[in-house]
Amino acid sequence: MIDWLFSPLVDFGFMRRALVAGLALSLVAPPLGVFLTLRGMSLVGDAMAHAVLPGVAVGFLLAGFSLPAMSFGGLLAGLLVAGLAGSVSRLTGHREDSAIASFYLISLAAGVMLISMRGSSVDLTHVLFGSILAVDSTALWLIVGVSSLTLIVLAAIFRILVVECLDPLFLRGQGIRGGAVHGLFLGLMVLNLTAGFQTLGTLMAVGLMMLPATAARFWSKRLEGLMGLAIAIGMVSSVGGLLLSYHAGLPSGPCIILLAGVIYLLSALFGRYHSVFARWRRRVQPMLPPDAHG
Amino acid sequence: MARSMAKPDTLLTLESLSLAQGNRMVLENIDGHFEAGTITALVGANGAGKSTLVQGIMGELRPVSGHVRCEVPNARRAWLPQQLALDLTFPMSVEELVMSGCWPTHGSFKRYGPAEYRRGQAVMQRLGLQSFEHRPLGELSGGQRQRALLGRTLMQEAQLLLLDEPFANVDAATVEVLIDVLRAMAAEGAAIIIVLHDHDQMTRLADRVLRLERGHGIWSTPATIGDSSSSAETLA
Repeated sequence: MIDWLFSPLVDFGFMRRALVAGLALSLVAPPLGVFLTLRGMSLVGDAMAHAVLPGVAVGFLLAGFSLPAMSFGGLLAGLLVAGLAGSVSRLTGHREDSAIASFYLISLAAGVMLISMRGSSVDLTHVLFGSILAVDSTALWLIVGVSSLTLIVLAAIFRILVVECLDPLFLRGQGIRGGAVHGLFLGLMVLNLTAGFQTLGTLMAVGLMMLPATAARFWSKRLEGLMGLAIAIGMVSSVGGLLLSYHAGLPSGPCIILLAGVIYLLSALFGRYHSVFARWRRRVQPMLPPDAHG
Repeated sequence: MARSMAKPDTLLTLESLSLAQGNRMVLENIDGHFEAGTITALVGANGAGKSTLVQGIMGELRPVSGHVRCEVPNARRAWLPQQLALDLTFPMSVEELVMSGCWPTHGSFKRYGPAEYRRGQAVMQRLGLQSFEHRPLGELSGGQRQRALLGRTLMQEAQLLLLDEPFANVDAATVEVLIDVLRAMAAEGAAIIIVLHDHDQMTRLADRVLRLERGHGIWSTPATIGDSSSSAETLA
């Protein structure tokens, strides 16, 4: 068992790099996901993951299988879609989610078009579904850099995000532009999606953001609890998924996300709050006495 | 210009203020002074422009013509929206909400010190929230939430306070607590503007009344506005 767990990590440098990359991503992507769920933007992450695709494709077409080029392209495409969607929503008064949905579809179609113009490529399946082999030391530095930056920015805007989620008017009254904070938050999300695609693939990267966050909501009602748990779930999924991927010869992205998915399903069934089991238990248990308050 | 300097304790002045929503004119030529220590009730039928006026005062809506002159810095202006406007499923405790009123002095980065926590405790005690301090907002009753929201503005040491129907969906005990606290805030020098419907609450709380009707503002006092109706009605 111990051998099963550790031997791939001891024997292979690429597994160690993938492990560090997975842990670094698990430290920042799940907290972003917690904020996404709390802001009612659960599906925006998914849309942005699709939006990143044409940028990655352009990077691939121009520079071949170069991770910095593809990441940069993805980042640019993601920020462009987020920026355009934000502008259209502000200029027209339409809801931002519908603008994002429109732009990510345009972006996705452009991405598919670009890929088909070049003809299909085996390498590109790595882009879509992730490959632990893809994590060389350049990629690792990129991921660790993005994670560190995200951690710092998230810490800096943490209180703003919390207060804004609850009552945006309060912050506006204090002279903080909600739009700027929102833009920064979307930027962080895109940055993490592009950092995540080496191990997880562009379409799977959002999974490490959302599934730990949604699973954690069944276990905690406090923000710190949600963040800590989501990070822990992300890390367990990353490590477990990598090992599974290695031993079973499966692509790493789906392995990691499916593992997180299993944790989510178990949480939905047996979690402490609002799970199927918790609801059933509340029905059969007697009520608590009312508060000692008039 | 001369008018706004007429009274030294005037915190907010409206000068021929006209406000529109889109291209529909909602309010025209509203004038008024809001002095420190006074509570003004803002009344009017649905759609009369109460929320529009509040938006204009908070700087959310640019005047079509006229001016809003506010002597109170942004940080000390507080706006208490209707509870429905807030996402109260957010995983935050009463204490955390109250402490977020430290924003003017602490901003995004500064750590709350023991002095602030003591002040937070005092605020929660004053509002009768001490036994709920660690309770998530989602598990509170309407009245308890309203107390917590007022706690934030107390923490903020708001000098100009606007409230939108603070007594809606609130229990009778909370109404009493809120009225006491608002009166005390006014006595400490705050100017308070409060959107109200209930006449009894208006007579108990307000010094002056600004009624919005057909796009215009009419100033009066609680006594003159409803001599006919009984103010002895018991609170719900």
